[in-house]
Amino acid sequence: MPRVSVVEARGLVKTFGEGRAARRVLDGADLDVGAGEIVAVLGRSGSGKSTLLHVLGGLDRPEAGTVRVAGEPVTGATERRLSDLRHRRIGFVFQFFHLLPELSGEDNVLLAGRVRGADAAAVARGRELVDRLGLRHVADSLPHQLSGGEQQRFAIARALVNDPALLLADEPTGNLDAQAGRHVLALLRGLAADGRAIVLVTHEEGAARIAHRVLRLEGGKLVG
Amino acid sequence: MTPRRRTLLAAAGVFAASVVVGTGATVGYGLATGFDRAAERADLPDVIARFDTEGRGRVDARVRALPNLAARSYRREVKQVPLAAPGHATNRGIAQIVLGGRRGYAITEGHDVRRREVVIERGLARAWDLHPGDLLEIAGARLPIAGIALSPDNVAFPLTVTPRVYLDAATVPPGFRDPNLALLWLADPGRADITLTQARATSFGIGHLEFITRDGVRVLLGQAAGIVISLLVAFSLVALAAAGTMLAASAHADVQRRLPSFGVRRALGFTPGALVLAQAAAAARVAVPAAAAGLAVGALAVAGPTRNLLAQLNEEAPGVALVPVLLACLAGISLLVCAASAWPAWRAARRPPAEVLRGADLAPPRRRRGTGRLRAGLLGTGARFALAARARWAASVATVAMCAGVVGLMFALASLLVRLRDDPGTVGKRYELVARLPPEDAGAVRAIPGVADAAPRYVTDAADSFRLGEPLRLIAYPGDHTRFEAPPLADGRRLRTDGEAEVGVGLADALGLRPGATLAVQVPGGSEVRFRVSGVVRALENDGRLAYVRPARLLAADPVLGSELAVRLSPGADRDRVADGLSRLGAPPPRPAGAATTRDAGFLGVLAGVLRGVGLAVGLVCLYALVQALAMTARERRGAVALLRACGGGDGAVAAVLAGAALAVVVPAAVAGIALQRFVLGPLVSRWAAGFADLPLNPGVGQVVLVAGGLAALTAAATAVVARRAMRESVVAGLREE
Repeated sequence: MPRVSVVEARGLVKTFGEGRAARRVLDGADLDVGAGEIVAVLGRSGSGKSTLLHVLGGLDRPEAGTVRVAGEPVTGATERRLSDLRHRRIGFVFQFFHLLPELSGEDNVLLAGRVRGADAAAVARGRELVDRLGLRHVADSLPHQLSGGEQQRFAIARALVNDPALLLADEPTGNLDAQAGRHVLALLRGLAADGRAIVLVTHEEGAARIAHRVLRLEGGKLVG
Repeated sequence: MTPRRRTLLAAAGVFAASVVVGTGATVGYGLATGFDRAAERADLPDVIARFDTEGRGRVDARVRALPNLAARSYRREVKQVPLAAPGHATNRGIAQIVLGGRRGYAITEGHDVRRREVVIERGLARAWDLHPGDLLEIAGARLPIAGIALSPDNVAFPLTVTPRVYLDAATVPPGFRDPNLALLWLADPGRADITLTQARATSFGIGHLEFITRDGVRVLLGQAAGIVISLLVAFSLVALAAAGTMLAASAHADVQRRLPSFGVRRALGFTPGALVLAQAAAAARVAVPAAAAGLAVGALAVAGPTRNLLAQLNEEAPGVALVPVLLACLAGISLLVCAASAWPAWRAARRPPAEVLRGADLAPPRRRRGTGRLRAGLLGTGARFALAARARWAASVATVAMCAGVVGLMFALASLLVRLRDDPGTVGKRYELVARLPPEDAGAVRAIPGVADAAPRYVTDAADSFRLGEPLRLIAYPGDHTRFEAPPLADGRRLRTDGEAEVGVGLADALGLRPGATLAVQVPGGSEVRFRVSGVVRALENDGRLAYVRPARLLAADPVLGSELAVRLSPGADRDRVADGLSRLGAPPPRPAGAATTRDAGFLGVLAGVLRGVGLAVGLVCLYALVQALAMTARERRGAVALLRACGGGDGAVAAVLAGAALAVVVPAAVAGIALQRFVLGPLVSRWAAGFADLPLNPGVGQVVLVAGGLAALTAAATAVVARRAMRESVVAGLREE
């Protein structure tokens, strides 16, 4: 089966700080991720893993290089275009879940489906995801009433509510106990099996075992 | 938000509040002190006595014997004098012939009156655009204008329909040199009652003697301005409180941001006092220039209308005397802002440095609560954000509600003033036309198609027999006066006999009258007429200093008392056809029934303009409060906004969330504001400003729509401003904060 590339990143450069304090965290990084593929990116703390995810997802702009997601250019796009792209093509999963504390678990999931331009099936899909991820019994609970694993599953459901082609997961198990972590990783595998491209940033070797490919971010470059 | 933008936002809040305080201080101080300033400048006499023309020697013999007298002078006042200047003419001029002595007026331009010259009152000069050197025709004689005079013993032309001019005795024939007016300056003005009692006792043989005291003039003029002063003082305080609340919230957030630096400085040995002082000094650096600019803008914005208002009242603008008042306001506002900033700094600085260094919050952390059934769409999510910080939400709602109530009240007052000018029904009048026809024509008028009722209306201005400084108006109808004028009863019952009277609350308060008391009045002919008070009514006309009676006793005292016919129209009647019918009976064109002060149209217009201007200034404070509340929410929920953007939410989604947060404040505030106006501010102001009447200050549908529409516009503006700012922030930085 020919591989369909969901993410194509070429020559990414990103620097933080100025003058003598300047630190180049991405220095010509290249990346290709195909549909149904999980790529794990490992690296020490501060090596630029999260920055790579932000650049791939259009949350941050590189100084040089190009990124395309599902064939659409990310670099150089306007803010409005980037919003639209994130909305239709990209889902984010964060280490600290980022659930809004005032909303119930299910309302957090449905929030992304209520953004203007969301497809009509988004809300129904969100409810289905809550059921599928075994969260129905805690759907009306507020985040502070949920376990870490439950919060992360709600966050994953939220990332999937608009049926994105690319899932960017930043240390998704970093704040979970071992059992909850295993559960989340299994979930990600299942999502890849559905045909989504997943970029998993982690510093845990164990988490990387679910990946089809493992890359290391060293000296600003991705190496196999 | 950058520190520079935060500073600018705080400065904008101080500026907006200061604009309101500046307008309030300028108008309020000007009106509160305008009479005294003008009276001082004009050397206004303590007592003015009017009487039938009498030989000067005979009058002076009585006057110079009065106790407590410091000085006296005499004038001859001639009414109904034709005056004309290019483009203007009136037959209702008053010429005062100055017969030497102290003047009792101030010359503001030109010089005092001399032979074959005329001095004119300032109101006439303004209204007819006359200047010293111009010619004025007085009863056919063209005289050069020597000067412009200010005398605050009455309001100015055209607020009063009788312009005054002053002539030298040498200008008029000898027959006009006997006085009918005496100006008395007292050694101790506080004991004017002794002088007046003696004057009454020794006035035998002097006809139609009437007195008006300087205090009486002040009361009469002050009543016109009283509403505005009371309102402006109250509203300035409201604006300050609103700004103070929002600035305190802003200062709280600022200190929260600086907590790490507080911790470091405490660890380095800075005392809590030093940190608080530094915070207060930083606040002062923002507050002082912003407040100074706001006060200056507010003062300048209303300086013109205030000068006009004062000129119409024959009063003096404060000029540089306003500067100390504005400086006091500047000090007050600056202190308020510094205190609002220093308080959270003091709370933070008193905590153990180690705790602050660990990143503790300024306030103990509280778990955010869910907000029940609120729907979790984008608007609902925004509303939940706003409601999560309950104390700030409540403060914001209170501030915006107060602003909405105040703005609503301002517009209600402005609209009331316009109605007072145009709609007789506002003051309980049920007739629409006044026809100059004799009483016996009432039957014929009733027969005109479209006329529901007609009756003679007798009006005379009189004085209380016991306290001659208390002028009052008597209004008489044969039979039931409520067919034509029905002010609501405050106490007692309607009059039933010729010997009874319903008195206005203003008169009842002044004379201590209650149902069952005796009202003794001296009518212009000099006779005394007595009535038993049957009830007290809330009437607006003549500030409630009036009495409704039946005409029998008035006509017995003054058989030539004139009347006009009050004409009540049938619903839907054609006024023009009724007017035609009246003219067929020989009446000149009927005039519409005036409301409280028909001839005061310009004055009421100016007042309405001032009120609307202050309303708009309060609206600015409201906008600031909304922007501040939203900016605080956006700042605190920066992470949530970033998350929404990470999920694909664009500027529309962010604006929707912020609009939800704004609506969570504005909707309850609008309801509370309207209720506040309806149940608190309206009745309070009505009682405060005109306790003698029922002022209809309830918000009408139009005003509710106006206030709601204004709040909607302010919400949209505030949302747009804050959303634009939020969209410029980095998503990644926001996510790090969530």
